[in-house]
Amino acid sequence: MPIVFENIHKAFGDKVILDGVDFRIDDGECFFIVGASGAGKSVMIKHLIGLLRPDQGEIYLDGEEVSRLSERDLYPVRKKCAMVFQNATLFDSMTCAENVALPLRKHTGRSHGQALEAARERLELVHMQDFADSYPAELGDGMKKRVAIARALTLDPRYVLFDEPTTSLDPVSARRTDALIRSLCDDLGVTSVVVSHDLVSIFSIADRIAMLYKGHLRMLGTPKEFQETDDPVVRQFVRGEAEGPMDV
Amino acid sequence: MTQAGLSEGHAPATSRRLGGPVIDGLRDLRDLFRLLGRTLSLISHGKREKGAIVEQMYFIGNRSLVFMCITMGFIGAIITFQSAVQSQRLLPDLTMLGATFIKLLVRDMAASLGAMPLATRVGAGIAAEIGSMVVTDQVDALRMCAADPVDYLVVPRFIAATLMGTAVLIIAGAVSIVSGMLIANGMFDVNFHTYLNFSMVTLGDVALGVTKMIAFCAAIAIISAQRGLATFGGSEGVGTATTRAVVGSSFAIIVLNFFISGLGYFFVPS
Repeated sequence: MPIVFENIHKAFGDKVILDGVDFRIDDGECFFIVGASGAGKSVMIKHLIGLLRPDQGEIYLDGEEVSRLSERDLYPVRKKCAMVFQNATLFDSMTCAENVALPLRKHTGRSHGQALEAARERLELVHMQDFADSYPAELGDGMKKRVAIARALTLDPRYVLFDEPTTSLDPVSARRTDALIRSLCDDLGVTSVVVSHDLVSIFSIADRIAMLYKGHLRMLGTPKEFQETDDPVVRQFVRGEAEGPMDV
Repeated sequence: MTQAGLSEGHAPATSRRLGGPVIDGLRDLRDLFRLLGRTLSLISHGKREKGAIVEQMYFIGNRSLVFMCITMGFIGAIITFQSAVQSQRLLPDLTMLGATFIKLLVRDMAASLGAMPLATRVGAGIAAEIGSMVVTDQVDALRMCAADPVDYLVVPRFIAATLMGTAVLIIAGAVSIVSGMLIANGMFDVNFHTYLNFSMVTLGDVALGVTKMIAFCAAIAIISAQRGLATFGGSEGVGTATTRAVVGSSFAIIVLNFFISGLGYFFVPS
């Protein structure tokens, strides 16, 4: 199993976010983590790359327990497991190409020139090559997101974590992003872990879905199983209904 | 713990129950010294971006200069005016007005009075900038790129604030001497030559004053960076971090001044 979460507990102050969550993600899967806002979806994936540490529990990546690694020892983990953040998180003082080149320079020690050349190639993959020398402030949200995806793919990661990749995008950009995520799994064999509550994305590209609710794993299954479930909370979520038992 | 050695977000529930503010304060102090230690060690063997220090020197130094010169200019004028008015009640002779003001300025006031407005300008800027990067996940993105946020964000600001802050305080101190001289001349007929009397200033006074400037500027940078890295929440969190940076820096300036002045009393007698 490439990714295993075992009994993950996490609290911020008095607020318990994750209260013993377990699940496994298979190789090459397009795996969605869903749930209401504040359910701990982003917190969950940040544990995998050491941006947060669990209060209790273990996380295995390729059989290696990663939740107790030092910051330095996490560098190889982050090299094979990239993340696209919700806000794109491009560095304002750098051009798009420089943003994409940064992980190459830092992780692989390539020169500035070599890294920029490789960055331009990566930008082509997401159709952003014409904006290589633009600054993030000059781009729209969808374009920023594509540059952020290019940056995440720079090091040819085996795993890519997406934190609400379609939030704040227009419908066309959102579906293009979905297609890009799906093609990563199908064409490159990348394992994608996507945090989302975009129902269109979930039911169009997910292989399997885990739903978090009140700190626990409420349901784990395929999109079909989610659509046919009798669980009233899950049913309310997948139907996007305002009325129901779900407490948010 | 986060990369910067800072506590993650909220304090644990138990620590809140066990006398929250004291434990929070001790945790902040521990984080502060941990960050200072990491910053100092990374100064020698860090891999920060080329030009980052020069860029920060421009932002911190050049952009603070006019504000600091105007502020210290007014402070020099006010102190000279008040000193002259009080002195005249006891003694009509103002020949030592400039000499005593310059001595006091070099030994203490250029550093202590200057560092306060500098903390509002530089400290708030550092905390807001780093805090904004924290709440928008840019600091986490840096960590994903194998760029150490302390090396990347804190070290350039620490070096720049310490060097340029000290330079700005020296220049602003000189401006306050000039403004004091103009007030002394314009309102009390003290001529320029009489006012510009450096005979009471010793090398020890200069060393003490510069030591204070360096210590205060370093404190402003490290406290503000720590507040920025510890930011939690959205824009409200950035606001809180900025306020805490200015309050913490001002408090540190006063406490450091007390101890450095105390040491100066023994090693560099007035």
